[in-house]
Amino acid sequence: MSQFIQQVILGLLLGGVYVAVALGFSLVWGILNIVNLAHGALVIVGAYVTWALFTRWHIDPFLSLPVDALVLFVIGYALQRGVINRLIRAPLLFTFLLTFRLNLVIVSLLLLIFTADFRSVTTTYSGSGLELGNVIIPYIRVGGLAVALVLAGILWAILNRTRIGAAILAVGADRDAAQLVGVDLRHIYALTFAIGAAFAGVAGGIISTFQSITPTAGDPYTLQAFAVVILGGLGRVSATVAGGLAFGLIEVLGQSAPWLGSGYANAIAFVVLVVVLVVRPRGLLGRLA
Amino acid sequence: MIAREDRLPPRLRRSIFAVTMVALAYVILAPLTSIDAAQQAGLPLLTDKVWFRIVTTVLMFVVLASAWNIVGGLTGYASFGNIAFFGLGAYTVGALVANRGWPFGLALLVAPIVPALFALVIGLPLLRLRGHYFAVATLGVGVATGEVVNNVGPLGASTGLFLPIVRSDLLFFYLMLAAAGLAVLTTWVILRTRFGYGLLAIRENEEAAAVIGVNTNFYKVAAFCIAAALSGIAGGIFAQWNSFINQELVFAVSDNVQMILMAVLGGAGTALGPVAGAVVLELIIQTLAGGGSGSVYSQIGLGILLAVCVIFIPRGVIDFFGGRSKLSLRYFRQTLRETSA
Repeated sequence: MSQFIQQVILGLLLGGVYVAVALGFSLVWGILNIVNLAHGALVIVGAYVTWALFTRWHIDPFLSLPVDALVLFVIGYALQRGVINRLIRAPLLFTFLLTFRLNLVIVSLLLLIFTADFRSVTTTYSGSGLELGNVIIPYIRVGGLAVALVLAGILWAILNRTRIGAAILAVGADRDAAQLVGVDLRHIYALTFAIGAAFAGVAGGIISTFQSITPTAGDPYTLQAFAVVILGGLGRVSATVAGGLAFGLIEVLGQSAPWLGSGYANAIAFVVLVVVLVVRPRGLLGRLA
Repeated sequence: MIAREDRLPPRLRRSIFAVTMVALAYVILAPLTSIDAAQQAGLPLLTDKVWFRIVTTVLMFVVLASAWNIVGGLTGYASFGNIAFFGLGAYTVGALVANRGWPFGLALLVAPIVPALFALVIGLPLLRLRGHYFAVATLGVGVATGEVVNNVGPLGASTGLFLPIVRSDLLFFYLMLAAAGLAVLTTWVILRTRFGYGLLAIRENEEAAAVIGVNTNFYKVAAFCIAAALSGIAGGIFAQWNSFINQELVFAVSDNVQMILMAVLGGAGTALGPVAGAVVLELIIQTLAGGGSGSVYSQIGLGILLAVCVIFIPRGVIDFFGGRSKLSLRYFRQTLRETSA
């Protein structure tokens, strides 16, 4: 029984990471109608920023999260304004191809700058956790989940309580109508992508605390962000949170099933994904498209 | 839109045709000079081993891009899971030859069947999805199939499968050439049949196609199965040619993206577009990425080059080589304006 509780807790904590990764992804998908295949690469850029700050100046990884956000915000704004905006009206296949290529370019640049060595951020409290009988709750993962929930709150607040958020939602609902009422489309596109990238950066900072990072470590996260968004549904912050937590649970519980193993992580994800797509295409909490 | 290649002035058309035929004849016949008998007879060697392998790879991508084109270009369903068909074809041959001791020729006959059956099974649920959802779900199928294969003991698990080596570059070149010919011919025939018009109708407007009596589900799944069978043949040939397969080699998502780029940059929805795209792009990739030392830079260069291509020629090079538009700065400005924010 305690084994099961342990798995559930680990699943929810892992789910927190997925929430953080998927928030920006689902924002960009929902508003810009772009499935950003470079999302994982942006996540890893954030992880490297945290790592660099930690090894250079011994800055605590959780304190460097705002820096990650800032750096990725700037990169994201430039990417969208300079590159992706050129294809925003093209058929969706083209943004797919473009972001896939961007992913490769970013990974290659990371390889050049940081080499392919494994990098890890090991703090003094990295190994410790709260022990409740046989159940262990690692502090650092709890921190990650907390940050993810705060991020979700921030995103919700931006979208629902600010003028910028209103403009972003308006663009998501109807681009042309938004333009007619005076929204600067190019700026809002870039801003949306920048916010998505900033969230990816923070997610990367969290990831660097419990996993060693390499330039290609982000690729699985792109795929998992997909699965989370499909599972939760598009168009709501709460849907992403529910999808992320559910997905973390499914993955951990699925891998602990006796006849499967960690080798099936992606397969489990995609069986879930395909089943949800076919049975309930709008996800657990998503709005009808 | 079906490609109409007859807008060029006849004289230009004839010379393009002649040049193409000469190039094709060279590519097909030059390898024959590497046969021992020809060498002993003192014929000049018109090609070498490295070039041979490159051309065989190009032909493999001609098959893959053409097969993708049947689903992605004609039917309008952008599949990111076609690599699963290639991988399944490769593993079919791999398992039959390495584990069961079948002769390669016999195993190759089975190679298209397994992926086609797989396409039949997954096609029914997946082809109900559209747009991003179809792309994502097929991507998932591609990755998950590879992962499952990677965990199955009899298929060599993560080590992969080793096939007995067959030392005949010539054989694999001509097999791949035949497969490429078959793929192009299949597309060409489809484009001229009722079936092909049905697929194009689905791409343009699926509801309207259903209303005028196209059995959309049957058409889509049939297209999917044909693409799967063609990709499976390429995979089967690749397995024996390379004499080693594992998950990373034959289930690489980047290869799937590559075949899409080839079809799209060449001209999706046409018979010859994917061929042009595969030849040009694969030669560029081989030139850039061939050297090991500068491969990171070449990756970056390639990425930027392809991004620029996707941005500026979204309808593929066939758009202006096929004579529908003129290649000019104005054309680039116009395509940019059409898609920009």
